[in-house]
Amino acid sequence: MAGNASRSAAAVWAILRKECRTEWRTRWGLNAALLFAVTTLTAVSFAVGRMPDRPDVLSALLWIVLLFGALSSLAHAFVREVEGHTLTLLRLVASPLEIATGKFLFNVVFLLVIEAVTVPLFLALMGAPPPRWGTFIAVLLLGTLGLAASGTLTGALISQTRGRGALFAAVSLPLLLPVLAAAVSGTRAQWSGLDPGAPLNLLAAYALGVVAIGVLLVDHLWEE
Amino acid sequence: MSATLRLEARGLGHRFAAGRGLDPVDFAVEGPGVTAVTGENGSGKSTLLRIVAGLLRATHGTERLEVDGRTLPASGRRDAIGLASPDLAFYEELSVGENLEFAGEARGLAAPARAAGEALTRVGLESRRDDRVAALSSGMRQRLRLAFAVLHRPRWLLLDEPGGHLDDSGRATLERIVREHARDGHVLLATNDEREWRLGGQRIALRGRGLGHPA
Repeated sequence: MAGNASRSAAAVWAILRKECRTEWRTRWGLNAALLFAVTTLTAVSFAVGRMPDRPDVLSALLWIVLLFGALSSLAHAFVREVEGHTLTLLRLVASPLEIATGKFLFNVVFLLVIEAVTVPLFLALMGAPPPRWGTFIAVLLLGTLGLAASGTLTGALISQTRGRGALFAAVSLPLLLPVLAAAVSGTRAQWSGLDPGAPLNLLAAYALGVVAIGVLLVDHLWEE
Repeated sequence: MSATLRLEARGLGHRFAAGRGLDPVDFAVEGPGVTAVTGENGSGKSTLLRIVAGLLRATHGTERLEVDGRTLPASGRRDAIGLASPDLAFYEELSVGENLEFAGEARGLAAPARAAGEALTRVGLESRRDDRVAALSSGMRQRLRLAFAVLHRPRWLLLDEPGGHLDDSGRATLERIVREHARDGHVLLATNDEREWRLGGQRIALRGRGLGHPA
């Protein structure tokens, strides 16, 4: 059993490294996500200017910017396998759960990279008040897990359909509304000095719930 | 050491759509050796191999794959099976060696880099190890498929039209790999090329509709 677990961990690690390596060599997804996020941020900052006294608006704008970046690329990890016809190779070397876990971890890393660029820019350009860093990072991390889990599951579901690009956004948005609402609420709470416990719990529960659904569904995703 | 190997199918078939797929077939092959799977285009040779590899769930009948007396479920055949098929593609952004090392790491091999080197040497592709897959010719890609299939030294080697795009040297390499593997493993060889199916000690002739008799 321990052997199976360590072997699965090795497969997940191999898939995560392969994803990072292929993404780094093409940078297709990274460039697209950064372009979307930074363009949205720039447009918003020009339109509304600095607003240090409006944490409610800032919170909503921050997550809209992050969502734009995420939506442009989260399905990419699976779509790339289908469009490159490499899904057969992947299915021959790893189980569906190992594949999905590797892709999920890649999406988490991917979003963290986008956030590392976007969030400091957002705080500077929008004149946001100094965050309570512990809570702010907790909201960002849990929101990232929710976005990545939902994006990975949806990406796996739609990867073999036609019109998958449009379908991903259409299917993802309703699924992501609870994450967005809780993340906006948690971000606003930390800026307003309110208790962020409820939104943090909701974000954690959402991420866990989507991961659990993914584990249940994943074996049937690519059955022919 | 010879493995106890057995593959048995009872009424095994698959329907993608009316008139297309694998018509029900019964067979049993066992022991080390080579079995040729022959049939017209569209008779279901590739479909049969994908079912045996656990990539496709049959819509009719049953099949049972055994290694050393253990029946392997479709989801647990990755270690026992090596598949080379025309639709097997590699990551174009990675080099030849990186593709095989990734496969070895994901399969949990102890020394994936060494296994990749050995597999590339077996197919005569060791000099292209650092080349991107995108730079390979069709024949070299076919050799890479063979290297991928034998990378983890599986008991069952499933080769779908393995001679496609290969030159004379490649065909000799293929024949050598098949003969070496047949000493203690079993090769299922889906082909209509007489040079290939003559390698088989046994033969499964599929009598599906092919292209000529649509339902």
